[in-house]
Amino acid sequence: MASTEIALPHRHLEDAPAGSGARAGWLRRHGRAAAALVLLAVALFPFLWLVHLAFKPAADLFEDRLLFVPRLDGFRALLQGSFPRSFLNSLAVSTLSTAMSLAIGVPAAYALTRWQFPGRRHVALWILVTRMAPPIAFTIPFFLAYRWLGLQDTLFGLALVYLTFNLAIVIWLMQTFFEAVPTALEEAAYIDGCGVWQAFWRITLPLAAPGVAATAVLCFIFAWNDFFYALILTRTQAVTAPVAIVNFLQYEGWEWSKIAAGGTLVMFPVVVFTVLVRKYLVQGLTAGGVKD
Amino acid sequence: MGAANALAAPATPRAPASSAPRGWQATRRRAFAFGLAPALIVLLAITLVPAGALVVASLTPLSLTDPAGTFHFRDPLGNYRHLLEDARFLGSIATQLKLSAASVVLQLAVGLGLALLLNAPARVLGAVRGAFLIPMVLPPIVVALIWKILFTPDVSPLHRALEAIGWPVRSLIANPDTALWAIAFAETWQWFPFTMLMVLAALQMMPADPLEAASLDGANRWQLFRYIVFPHIRPVLVVCGLFRLIDSFKAFPLIFVLTDGGPGTVTEVTNYYGFIQAFNFSYWGYASAIATVILAGVFALSWLVGRLGWNDHGKH
Repeated sequence: MASTEIALPHRHLEDAPAGSGARAGWLRRHGRAAAALVLLAVALFPFLWLVHLAFKPAADLFEDRLLFVPRLDGFRALLQGSFPRSFLNSLAVSTLSTAMSLAIGVPAAYALTRWQFPGRRHVALWILVTRMAPPIAFTIPFFLAYRWLGLQDTLFGLALVYLTFNLAIVIWLMQTFFEAVPTALEEAAYIDGCGVWQAFWRITLPLAAPGVAATAVLCFIFAWNDFFYALILTRTQAVTAPVAIVNFLQYEGWEWSKIAAGGTLVMFPVVVFTVLVRKYLVQGLTAGGVKD
Repeated sequence: MGAANALAAPATPRAPASSAPRGWQATRRRAFAFGLAPALIVLLAITLVPAGALVVASLTPLSLTDPAGTFHFRDPLGNYRHLLEDARFLGSIATQLKLSAASVVLQLAVGLGLALLLNAPARVLGAVRGAFLIPMVLPPIVVALIWKILFTPDVSPLHRALEAIGWPVRSLIANPDTALWAIAFAETWQWFPFTMLMVLAALQMMPADPLEAASLDGANRWQLFRYIVFPHIRPVLVVCGLFRLIDSFKAFPLIFVLTDGGPGTVTEVTNYYGFIQAFNFSYWGYASAIATVILAGVFALSWLVGRLGWNDHGKH
């Protein structure tokens, strides 16, 4: 990375006549970091404001005072309603969808990596394009079909819809991870009498395990973050947390601290996961975006 | 055993081989096909079949009031003809284009600027880079709530600050002149990290030699950027722009929570209009036609991304 310091702050400026004082020296050395920190504070201010509202006592909500004793009233109010159930629904749907997409997608990704068949490129491209398709194009047919099949307002139905984007993510990402595993190891296993899937199970998959974990986290986050499908395909039983927040916003009006508390809870797992798998997250969010 | 021999050249199926490796190759192919098939079948069932059903439904006047009676093909192109005369639909396309253009341009500008700022070897910057990703990974509904709070004068710290200095401002999302720009702003906040990430990745892959050569030849910083750095990252910027453009057609939670398409219909984008037609009015046939149009637009853009040579997992 040191090779790409493009704005060249040091080399050139150091040729400039010295004597602008210690202040300029500090600015030259730390100006970039200082600017970055200031911009970060500005960029994260909206996010921090929501978290801070969640802990603010209701009485102080309309005041500017920044110093207050954190209260958990908002969270407590949430616990009494239907929110805990929707939170569990979110967990269940995201987990189920992640498990299904991994079970189907991982072997497919492996086959796509190791098997050079004619039309392979087209299949890979089609899989990526499914991720691009606008949800509205899928929701109308799914909505009609689910009314008919009785899958409306069920956790399984929702998890199934999430495959429309998660399957593409798994197949696309896992290809990169499988490419990194040297084929020589598999060949050795073949010679020892392993079948293709046996070698995959015993050799390749354990080696690609970190990739599988990262992919699982991404799938979970994408399913967790969904709002549109859940809004349309659930009514009462399978409502997920994002929809639940909007529901009490519509039926109970703007109870700010409760809304802020709900928002904080919904984003909590995502922020934790982001910290845990930052490196892979970057890869997943830009999947297909950077030529490799 | 000949298997290793044949495997040494897996990409050339016609490698001279005895009958045993050919049998192994066939077994291997069968095994791979067996692994790939479930995913392809499921994808077919949940993407191509619904897409087909959508196009079929778009040729009928299907609606909630009489689902059986309205499912006919007497006037297959009726919905599309109607679309061309529907001022609200045409307006929604204009709104969509304005919103997409504004937010994508802003995202590219902010993302590029930050990437250039953060691309330096300092430990602080590495940590800061990760924190900048937060807006992008937040659940979209939380992003919408955040901006609802910031755009609502009662609770917004910005509005109260403006009021305190004697310059009260009407809520930006309640004002028809500014509502769309407010949404574009929120969308930019959510998605600038994407461009930032991609540009940073490109910058880190840039060879150092041309930069050094140019600076030895006396090029100034602007010239270095204009003639060396920018040409290097331009393809990434183009791809970022197209990706974000495609995604911007899906914008939903922000509009749903912030303005609900209003005031009037000034923030009603095509996606949102389709949603209203389908799930508020239950004109499923008509909504399908709208969704088909969006789908066609997305495919055209995806094709463009493909043409630019990106996403090419097969070539190395």
